[in-house]
Amino acid sequence: MATYMDVNLVKYLCSCGKKFPICRLYLCKHCLKPRCIDCVQHEVDTPYCPNCLETMPTGEAKLKKNRCSNCFDCPVCGHTLMTRATTHTTPNPEDPTKVITKKMYYMACGFCRWTTRDVNLPDQSVATGNWPELENPNSKRISTLLDNYRAMAQIEKAERERKKYVKRRSHLYLQEKYGLPSSAMKRKGLSSLASLSQKDGDKVLGELEPSATVDSFEPLPNDFFTQPAALDKTTKLPNRLNVPEFQPEETGKLHIIHKHLLMRKSLRCKECEHNLIKADFNPVSIKFKIQLTALNHVPELRILNPCTFTYNKESVVTLTLSNPSVFNTTVTLAAIENETDTDYCTGKIDLPKKELVLAGRDEPSMHVYDDSSQAHLDFKDDPKVIAFRKANKIGFIVKVTPLVKEGDVRVCFLLKHEFRNTTVAALQSESKEPEIVWLEHKVYISLGQI
Amino acid sequence: MELQDDFYNVPQYIETASGNKVSRQSVLCGSQNIVINGKTIVMSGCVIRGDLANVRIGRHCIISKRAVIRPAFKKFSKGVAFFPLHIGDHVLIEEDSIVNAAQVGSYVHIGKNCVIGRRSVLKDCCAIADNTILPPETVVPPFTVYSGSPGKVSGDLPDCTQDLMTDITVSYYQHFKPHGKGK
Repeated sequence: MATYMDVNLVKYLCSCGKKFPICRLYLCKHCLKPRCIDCVQHEVDTPYCPNCLETMPTGEAKLKKNRCSNCFDCPVCGHTLMTRATTHTTPNPEDPTKVITKKMYYMACGFCRWTTRDVNLPDQSVATGNWPELENPNSKRISTLLDNYRAMAQIEKAERERKKYVKRRSHLYLQEKYGLPSSAMKRKGLSSLASLSQKDGDKVLGELEPSATVDSFEPLPNDFFTQPAALDKTTKLPNRLNVPEFQPEETGKLHIIHKHLLMRKSLRCKECEHNLIKADFNPVSIKFKIQLTALNHVPELRILNPCTFTYNKESVVTLTLSNPSVFNTTVTLAAIENETDTDYCTGKIDLPKKELVLAGRDEPSMHVYDDSSQAHLDFKDDPKVIAFRKANKIGFIVKVTPLVKEGDVRVCFLLKHEFRNTTVAALQSESKEPEIVWLEHKVYISLGQI
Repeated sequence: MELQDDFYNVPQYIETASGNKVSRQSVLCGSQNIVINGKTIVMSGCVIRGDLANVRIGRHCIISKRAVIRPAFKKFSKGVAFFPLHIGDHVLIEEDSIVNAAQVGSYVHIGKNCVIGRRSVLKDCCAIADNTILPPETVVPPFTVYSGSPGKVSGDLPDCTQDLMTDITVSYYQHFKPHGKGK
């Protein structure tokens, strides 16, 4: 739906001060605060290949430079290459009258029809292909630089530990940054002393030859001016930038590219360090071990239908609220006091003053479409406020007065709702009843153009 | 924004006992090979090629106008073979798209005017943006959005895509109303 419906019309304010549609927010059940993708800690769970969907451990992925060893991308259009089989006949060396047929494999792109034969890569005798790897001309330099940075990190770490200033966290980051062995991390208590006495770092630092400044370039060869440009044999800029280490200029020098891995990640609240999202290990699965998305806990607000507005005139807008919880939930709406984002609102909103009660979500009856329900009688709804009531959803009426002559009509208000915290209750196990807390969310709505 | 009501003419649609709504103006070839599991809408101008291979469509799917569902084939040394096509539940296929996939998972959204290449595999909870061309044998992993020509990863979907897609297909079905009935 995030791609089908415009979810960006109604945004909730994250605890970090950014506005997000509710489907992109998480609710930390321990801090009871909304969190967004920018204010949580990301952890790589499983890197996987988007083509063969094979997972590999993080360490192995790092070693393979986050690329799949079996899948390749087309160097021209970037689509995944397919393996094609052909039969190859060679005369039998023992008996010249007979021929040996061998199955040979090459790679072809199903989109732009590029094949490995175009660049004279010989066909392989195995389907998975032991394709030749190109050696990065700068690999030696990169590895010395990396060694140097590692040594630097060691020195920095020793210094920091001497000062005993910094919090534990920052060490982890530092070590992760330069790929220090994790065993060093575990021996932290001891290693601080050990690393103080280590002077190896200085040696490595001294050995590194500094990079040289380029003062001048060789002038362009005369061929560029005298020969006609062979555009069909020259690669395009994206083709070159796909492989920054080689940057082939001629189409004949293109080489198959190992496919980039994607990753499954888990998210963690930065304050309490509890998991917000923990995906299943298998990248094909869409199940989650832990999923604290706001959509499952916070009532979702939507606009019922498009409205027309006129400047300084009150219009009636129907908004809907749906309850994700299985319990009846009470919601109150209020204006935001001391609104900091004064630029956002371009309209005045008249909110219902009474509490709105949302019926609990009842999964089995969700798919039964019944107009004749008596629900509105059970809740004794005021028809001036509640436009309709359907299962766990209500439509309620607000009055909006635009304060601008043209442009977007945007309003904001505070949404307070009951929240039954089932996890904490389960942890405490003292009282059977889940504890009820009131949560507040700032909601920003873009209602439409004047 | 909530979905708006979409009205259809009663004589133009056939409603089956399991709640499928199939337009009379759609072309279902080899209908004995087509299984539609229920509450699925097949709109006018759609073509489902059950004559090539079995087509199985799950519950609460929407196949919009002029979409073409066609099982994929593969060339072998002895002619061609067609593969059965499975489409999961809560799948939304928008107008003018051509689906040649081998498998479409559940909670998948295919935009307008797309071409899903031969033997592509669309896993659960993925989306294809409008006007995307997926080349043959593409694999679309869960929670990714593919767009462009050739289709490439261009974004990710929220973790609650399953709930969102369920909500959208169910409410689409509820808002797909016959003329003259309801509000």
